[in-house]
Amino acid sequence: MILELEGLRHRYGEELAIEDVSFGLEEGELLGLLGPSGCGKTTIVQAIAGHVRPTAGRVFLRGRDVTGEPPETRRVGIVFQRSTLYPHMTVGENVAYGLVSRDVDPDRRGALVEEYLELVDLHGRREAYPSELSGGQRRRVELARALAPRPDVLVLDEPLSALDRRLRRQLRGEIARIQRETGVTTLVVTHDQEEAMALADRLVVMNAGRVVGVDRPRTLYESPPTPFVASFLGRSNALPATVVGRHPLSVTLGGREVAFDDGPDVPAGTTVSCHVRPEDVSIHPPHVAVPGTDPVLSGEVRHVEDVGRRYDVTVAVETGDELLVETSSDPPAVGDRVAVALSGDRVTVFDDGSSAAETS
Amino acid sequence: MSYPDRPGGRVGRAGRLPELLVPGLLGALILLFFAIPFAAFLARTGAVGVLETLATPEARVAIRNSLLTAPVSTAIATVLGVPLAYVLARRSFPGKRLVEALVILPLIVPPVVGGAMLLTAVGRFTPIGAAAAAAGMPLTDSLLGVILAQTFVAAPFVIITARAGFGAIDERLEQASRSLGYGPLATFWNVSVPLARGAIVAGIVLTFARAIGEFGATMMVAYNPRTMPTRIWVEFIAGGIDAVVPLALALLGITLAVLAAVQRFGRVPTVIDR
Repeated sequence: MILELEGLRHRYGEELAIEDVSFGLEEGELLGLLGPSGCGKTTIVQAIAGHVRPTAGRVFLRGRDVTGEPPETRRVGIVFQRSTLYPHMTVGENVAYGLVSRDVDPDRRGALVEEYLELVDLHGRREAYPSELSGGQRRRVELARALAPRPDVLVLDEPLSALDRRLRRQLRGEIARIQRETGVTTLVVTHDQEEAMALADRLVVMNAGRVVGVDRPRTLYESPPTPFVASFLGRSNALPATVVGRHPLSVTLGGREVAFDDGPDVPAGTTVSCHVRPEDVSIHPPHVAVPGTDPVLSGEVRHVEDVGRRYDVTVAVETGDELLVETSSDPPAVGDRVAVALSGDRVTVFDDGSSAAETS
Repeated sequence: MSYPDRPGGRVGRAGRLPELLVPGLLGALILLFFAIPFAAFLARTGAVGVLETLATPEARVAIRNSLLTAPVSTAIATVLGVPLAYVLARRSFPGKRLVEALVILPLIVPPVVGGAMLLTAVGRFTPIGAAAAAAGMPLTDSLLGVILAQTFVAAPFVIITARAGFGAIDERLEQASRSLGYGPLATFWNVSVPLARGAIVAGIVLTFARAIGEFGATMMVAYNPRTMPTRIWVEFIAGGIDAVVPLALALLGITLAVLAAVQRFGRVPTVIDR
């Protein structure tokens, strides 16, 4: 493990920011730390960098306990959301800044500055001042500055959030390339699930100061461990259902009995919530038998939104819930009676008792 | 495409008062209030021989004393005040309000009262004052006393201005410096001070101007040896307004010269940074 957090907890006065946060980064890994704003991501970044001393728990860098060490003795490269380039230094001086403190000799320093500016595709701008650069160029200089001293771990704290959409996409690709080329162990902190899924080898999902899921992005997306992960990673519909049998778990949903390979182990009669993604729901004409064993609910179209490459259709179903359905063609009209079918094998079941705690 | 109605176009300009007319007019009034006494005072210049007066031994001593004391007071205020400003900008701690009140205190206390306070602390008959006098460095009626009075009255300016300058720096810039391998002190020198330079320099100029012009507290603590302001007072008592003109002009000249030099070398656009 290059970086390891062990039982990290921090409170600001009375307010608990993070509780029992533990995860680690393997050499060369690109880990995404994902969560809504205010979930404690920044506190974790500050604890890793050494600007916050956690109330409890420990931070290890290459196996060494650095919890009590100041930031300057840790080898953590940081890029923050807003630019921290020094306006009174040129691009070259900014990149060299972290080399001077580590006593790299001047010749070698100059070569390294060249090398890292080349890496971020800015070799011609060495003499420029940060104010002369575009937002995207400034980001890249910051990456070069953070990487030049060869940190043990590179922490990118919402690195793209301040940029516009097009630039964000472009720089996302740059970050992936730079990480691949340098092989630096990287932690990308973001609230943007698309960004996290596109970049990360593994994801740590956080909510309300706790880790609520750690896995490969695709695994978390397809079999979310909690309702929060289900709704935060992509969009998700929740429907209540009643358990009618265990081993295997089966529930009545949409007038059909559906069996699941896994799910919570709860007695019959318990109310559970079934999560299904909008793309796993299909719309059919009413009163036409939908073949197969998929649960079918009837309802009325409330809202149709044309978002370009698809339509988002909101259907109020018989259970009283609203279901979001993605469809690529021929959307129904508002007020139409329709039947919606859920792909039974794409439904994830959560025990309501535990889910209530996890989503709050 | 054409937008005939866009602001600044022919149509947009017609029939509208300039937006800043009212504040501009109000501002013009206070500017007049500044300018008229200034002009009237300068109009007296011709009535006396400025250079002859400045060449008198009394005037030369006063100028010398002021030029000796004000830079020292300014230096003391800067060296001790800028670090305090940094702490105030960066940390909250129990009793911070009290510290902030203490910084403001010399500003809200009339200088003459501030001088009286200094006397009660370091006067000839206090333990500190007596000890200093016994050591041959009297703290009253000496250049040291002048420096104490000037520092007391003028230091808050550099503290308050520098604090605002440090406060305007995104703390992340300092955190980035720490992560790039620099300790707190090196980060202060490399990042915080250069980025707050405009505000610090502005504070130094204000402090210097206030120190060299200090009269109230100086009069209480060290009426002798004379500085330019105390000499001006003596001249006024003896000879009225016209007698004041030469030294007043010299004082103004010195302050303006310092301001110009600082603007030139400190590359500060105006006293209030951006």
